[in-house]
Amino acid sequence: MTTTTSPGTDTQPSVPGGVDAAIRHGDHPLSRFGDTLMGVFVKLVLLGAVNGLGVLMIVRIVGLDGPWWGVATVAVTTLLLDGIYLGKRKLPLKYLIPGTIFLLIFQVFPFVYTFYIAFTNYGLGQILTQDQAIERIERVSIRTLPDAPRYGAVPFADGDDVALLLTSPDDEVFLGTPDDGLLPLAELDVTEVDGRIVAVDGYERLSLGAAQDRIDAFTALRIPVEEGEIELVSLSAATMREQTRFYDPDTGLLTDELTGAVYAPSDRGRFVNVEDPADTLSPGWRVVVGTENFVRAFTNEAIRGPFARVLVWTYAFAFLSTFGTFALGLLLAITMNDARLKGRRIYRLAMIVPYALPTFMTALIWRGMMNRSFGVINEMIGVAVPWLNDPNWARFSVVLVNLWFGFPYMFLISTAALQSIPSDLYEAASVDGASGWQRFRKITLPLLLIATAPVLVSTFAFNFNNFNVIYLLTGGNPPIAGAATPAGHTDILITYTYRIAFESGGGQDYGMGATIAVLTFVLVAAMAALSFRWIRPLEEINE
Amino acid sequence: MSNWRKWLAVVPAVALVLAACNGEEPVEEPPVEEPVEEPVEEEPVDEEEEAVAEEPVVRADADLVIWADDTRAPALRSFAEEFGAENEVEVALQEVAFDDIRDRLITAGPAGEGPDIIIGAHDWLGELVENGVVAPIDLTGLQDDLIDVAIQAFTYVGQTYGLPYATENVGLFRNTDLVPDAPATWEELEEIALGLQDDGTVRQGIVWPSEPADPYHNYPIVTAYGGYVFGMEDDGTYDPSDLGIDSPGALEAANKFAEMIDTGLMSADISYALMLDLFGGGDAAFAITGPWALADFPDVNFEVSPIPPVDGGTPAPFVGVQGFMISAFAENELLAQTFLLDYMATTEAQVALYEVGNRPPALISAFEEVADDPNIEAFGEAGIDGVPMPAIPEMASVWEAWTNAYELIYEGEMEPEAAFEDAASQIRALID
Repeated sequence: MTTTTSPGTDTQPSVPGGVDAAIRHGDHPLSRFGDTLMGVFVKLVLLGAVNGLGVLMIVRIVGLDGPWWGVATVAVTTLLLDGIYLGKRKLPLKYLIPGTIFLLIFQVFPFVYTFYIAFTNYGLGQILTQDQAIERIERVSIRTLPDAPRYGAVPFADGDDVALLLTSPDDEVFLGTPDDGLLPLAELDVTEVDGRIVAVDGYERLSLGAAQDRIDAFTALRIPVEEGEIELVSLSAATMREQTRFYDPDTGLLTDELTGAVYAPSDRGRFVNVEDPADTLSPGWRVVVGTENFVRAFTNEAIRGPFARVLVWTYAFAFLSTFGTFALGLLLAITMNDARLKGRRIYRLAMIVPYALPTFMTALIWRGMMNRSFGVINEMIGVAVPWLNDPNWARFSVVLVNLWFGFPYMFLISTAALQSIPSDLYEAASVDGASGWQRFRKITLPLLLIATAPVLVSTFAFNFNNFNVIYLLTGGNPPIAGAATPAGHTDILITYTYRIAFESGGGQDYGMGATIAVLTFVLVAAMAALSFRWIRPLEEINE
Repeated sequence: MSNWRKWLAVVPAVALVLAACNGEEPVEEPPVEEPVEEPVEEEPVDEEEEAVAEEPVVRADADLVIWADDTRAPALRSFAEEFGAENEVEVALQEVAFDDIRDRLITAGPAGEGPDIIIGAHDWLGELVENGVVAPIDLTGLQDDLIDVAIQAFTYVGQTYGLPYATENVGLFRNTDLVPDAPATWEELEEIALGLQDDGTVRQGIVWPSEPADPYHNYPIVTAYGGYVFGMEDDGTYDPSDLGIDSPGALEAANKFAEMIDTGLMSADISYALMLDLFGGGDAAFAITGPWALADFPDVNFEVSPIPPVDGGTPAPFVGVQGFMISAFAENELLAQTFLLDYMATTEAQVALYEVGNRPPALISAFEEVADDPNIEAFGEAGIDGVPMPAIPEMASVWEAWTNAYELIYEGEMEPEAAFEDAASQIRALID
């Protein structure tokens, strides 16, 4: 619940009707600002930057042979922005558009893409396109012929014709050309400068840089000899090689000429031997596999095994973290809010420290401090408490550390909310003879919850996915004995997903990772929807 | 043995993190550089840990683009410049954090944004080849110049995919002030270690990473009992259908680990940073780790030797090989091959890489030039009995399940043999 990734609810203006009302009355400072000379200048500079960016993106997309709709989207969006901000009207749009664009780019697009990946087999061995995969299979099948001599090679060229000066293993020197094969140097017109052959029969020696400029010609260069063809393996060496696997674009089949096996593309994104389904070629390519990942997530024992335990603990962790931090933050906020307390500013500053430090640094420090034998905590208390080694202690420890991470945020929110409660309410309450507890129960808490309930929901959702704290503090450990698949007692859904998708699954399985991400999203979204329904009555108090 | 030393345990972590965010924005993604799960593939708290750049690396505009980590890039710079100047080509050397190179190649390569050459470790091969993102390198003519196990490590399904430049494996570090002579057997070592521990000379007699549990550092003991991870076929490739974690030898080793925890020889709370701290501060007499840690113990006198026979069996550590690979999507593959075969397979280049990386060179002529350092020679000797770390992608399923099995043994949560048997069935379920 720390740092910049906190959900956006806390940044929205909480002043009721503030901006809208101001716009309606036409006296919002920004609406006047736009008419001043300075305002027009700033607007033009910003719009110019937007247009520049648009042109840059279009040039880049076209350069990469990107899709036409990419170009169209950028062009239309840029023109739309110009229209909105240069026009006199559409004032509300001027406020909404930037947010909407960022929402689309940073929220909607990643989600749609994740959703798409969940329906593919994107993962180990399935990351290329089919064309790329065919090219790789053919390339990897190129083998150096057994006992083929390895020649030293120097690139030469005569106009557009390229040739190689080849030195055999027995130090015989030839000029190799695609038309005439190997020509012994003795029969040719050779020019030497300082003992270096610089020209042969009209062909001139090239530097590697010059050869690099005609790299396509040299890559395609084949010099026919009796036993086969000589080709370059680097720009300074050549040998005889042969390709053993060939793709036929007409039939769509791939043939291995050494074994005679024929491979056909499968709907799983692999070339499969038509006679032996177990024989497949690497690499494969990414294909849409429909709901297969979802079916696997629900039925595969290796994935489903510890799922229920992990899910229960995820809820427990998120709940304990959210309400623990809220209770502690509120308690401290009320204490610090008391005018009788001396030096409140200093205390308040001190409260913020855990919030200001990066999680991944402090989590590692906690991990060191909680080491059973060598950690400073056990050194001080003189007892070997298994903070991170025993399942229950480890659960306690992650909640404790997360409490430390999370309470400053709640403290800040609560302090702000407390200060916005009108003090005349309390005066009225004391006149009526309400006790301290009654004042807290009947005035502070309800009014506070109006402001903080959405924050609580977002904090819950954040802790539901609080990867950093778990991964860095315990890595999900200690492990669950006898689990069907590696899992730990402090694993929450997101760290468990990480294990399955990236660590234990025999390589990276983005498709499965995306599937579980989608399922987690559904869980969190459903919970948030329910919570907001529960909050609504609170908001009505204010009206 | 005062309390301030325990505080020191957290210092490396802080330093590491401070280094990681030095001048860069705080990492938004979960920082993967901390070796929490796979201590092998991500070498713990190495100099390589410092994240170089968190922003996506985009292919530089040059004829030849090389991705190397911040440790090796400086050593390569002069060679890259020489190559560029001699041949009138433009060479760009881009720094990418070692642990990021593999994933970035997989995403950037097919999109046309990748480099021509990367630096990497041989156990990435399975993933890189299965994904089709690296190109074969023809090492014909160099076979006799390179250490056999290095070429073998970079061979995958009949093709070689890398030019190796260094090998690495664990060995036994010994504090020579506390223990002048290397023990001849593991049993002798246990006696010395426990003796020093009991009379309070050291805090822990022998240390190697155990928090989290570390199958990589534990492997020599497993192999000493005849255990193995995957069976090896005659041609030296690993057979994923022959999993050896529940083989009789491995189960015997599992019992050995439980015994070592019981006797107090082994502590279950040693993180990599703690190991460096304890051995480096003279609070441990022995440590098991690799050549990357040679520069981390400036304050103690130490020597390296192979791990002595355990219960009569010879320990075989995993051998990792580092090398250069060429991207399958290299824009200039022939030029990349030229640079590697003509400029990197040289004594001069491999010695330069040794000087920054501390690992024994893979080129025999370079190894001989630096082998006058007895510690490097000892690591080479320890590696002779070693086996290449499996590069097959199935290995990814092994680390986590095996780590968990060790943790359950360390904590006494499971019978040792049952823990290994469970891990084996977890791995089989994942591989199938």
